Amino acid sequence: MKTKKPNIGIVLFVAIGVVPFAAAFVYALLYSFGIIGVANQGFTLRFWESVLASGTFFKSLGYSVVIALVAVSLSVGGALWVTLKFRRQLEKRILSFVIYLPLAIPGIVTGFFTFQLFSKGGFFARISHKLGFITEASQFPDLVNDGLAVGIILSFITMVMPFFVLLFLNVYKNERIEELSILAQSLGANSRQVVHCVFLPILIRKTWVLIILYFIFLLGAYEVPLILGQESPQMLSVLIIQEIKQYDLDKISEGYVVAVLYTLLVSVAALALFLPKRKRAYAS
Amino acid sequence: MFLEVQHIIKSFGAEKVVKDLSFSLKAKQTLSILGKSGCGKTTMLKTIGGLLSPDSGKILLDGEDITETRPEKRNIVYLYQEDLLFPHLNAYENIAFGLRLKKIPEGLIKEKVGHMLHSLELEGQAEKMPNQLSGGQRQRVSFGRAISTNPSLLLLDEPFGSLDTGTRQRMQELFKKLTAEYDITSLFVTHDLKEAVLMGDQIGFMQNGLLTVYSDKKDFIQDPQTGVQNEIEFWGGLR
Repeated sequence: MKTKKPNIGIVLFVAIGVVPFAAAFVYALLYSFGIIGVANQGFTLRFWESVLASGTFFKSLGYSVVIALVAVSLSVGGALWVTLKFRRQLEKRILSFVIYLPLAIPGIVTGFFTFQLFSKGGFFARISHKLGFITEASQFPDLVNDGLAVGIILSFITMVMPFFVLLFLNVYKNERIEELSILAQSLGANSRQVVHCVFLPILIRKTWVLIILYFIFLLGAYEVPLILGQESPQMLSVLIIQEIKQYDLDKISEGYVVAVLYTLLVSVAALALFLPKRKRAYAS
Repeated sequence: MFLEVQHIIKSFGAEKVVKDLSFSLKAKQTLSILGKSGCGKTTMLKTIGGLLSPDSGKILLDGEDITETRPEKRNIVYLYQEDLLFPHLNAYENIAFGLRLKKIPEGLIKEKVGHMLHSLELEGQAEKMPNQLSGGQRQRVSFGRAISTNPSLLLLDEPFGSLDTGTRQRMQELFKKLTAEYDITSLFVTHDLKEAVLMGDQIGFMQNGLLTVYSDKKDFIQDPQTGVQNEIEFWGGLR
């Protein structure tokens, strides 16, 4: 009986996790080469050529990478700062509840709230008008549906930063960073050296895989960029869905090309992360 | 005297944990302090190390008043009860940690750490991460890291408490060898009677925040509150 349990686990994992994903990927691959699809007439490379030649995919990929990178960097940086400065206060029951709360709010709600707060007709625009900072809505800075993706990044930070604060607080406790910091101080480290030689390396090395996974997650985020993004360039998921849902049937295949490219990219990144055998939690 | 502790008092809220602590210690000597859990030993060490501020009193090290000096400026190393190694650094880098903080040239660090690894009988273990070392090896690295910075004073808080009997004995011998080799002045806190007698040039007994330092080991053995007489009676009764 003991030997059967892992087998059942593997079967379930393959059935639930691998088969549907693989089936969807094969479907998208066949669609992208024109092998299946209502208007398609057999194998062709023209959808691939069209996507690669237009540059929309690369523009969208670059735009998504920059947004995800900025959002993850600011979230991780902010969470590290909060952990460093406020960990004692955060151990209190009410404050820990305040951190957990944003984790329960879906991305679409966060996106909607951000829109309500930062749009030209939103809460802060109205406050600014009441206080006399602006005289008409157009004077309020573009914070949603804008080129710099301020609204998207703000929403991502709201969604991701609390998770990292909780993660870092947990690692701080489990890895006994408090005691290690005192020890480092006793060995001659000043406050800055304690942060640079103990606090940061331990936290980052212990959590870097999760940081990268969150980067990949944000790279493929859909709801927030759909609500707060601009017309062009768009983040990858929004571009893919928009292409697939177009009336132009050729565009559907092009949408699948983008989806395949994105999946390959993320899969390669995930393989690079997890394939090398990690013999220990810390790389020397 | 090299270390002079004068009338140190330390309280947490209404509880006075260290009461009028006064003693002195010559350079290159070890004062072992025996005491039960909760008697104020750790608070005393942390106060001397600058990790806690005393409510009153004075600490002089080599004639200099260090009561208000920041811990990183005291050149006093506090060693935890457990072998607390930096988990992101291998054995070599753990030992080199304090030396790197002092911005010592790389060649000298290599020489010092190499020598320390040899003294600690840890050749061939330099590249290993803490989780790849045994309890005894981790404790030795921890020692090496503390001693390599050439501290004025070493504070040891029950350093062998978590080790098995055999490893503990080997570590005691190694500690004696290293303190002699590196001219270390130290305070060695333990709750093990035999260890207190073995490790100290002088012995103190701490109870309810009060420390008694005995001028002679015989006085320590004769004092009924240290528990030595009970031990002698117990082992004698087994004959």
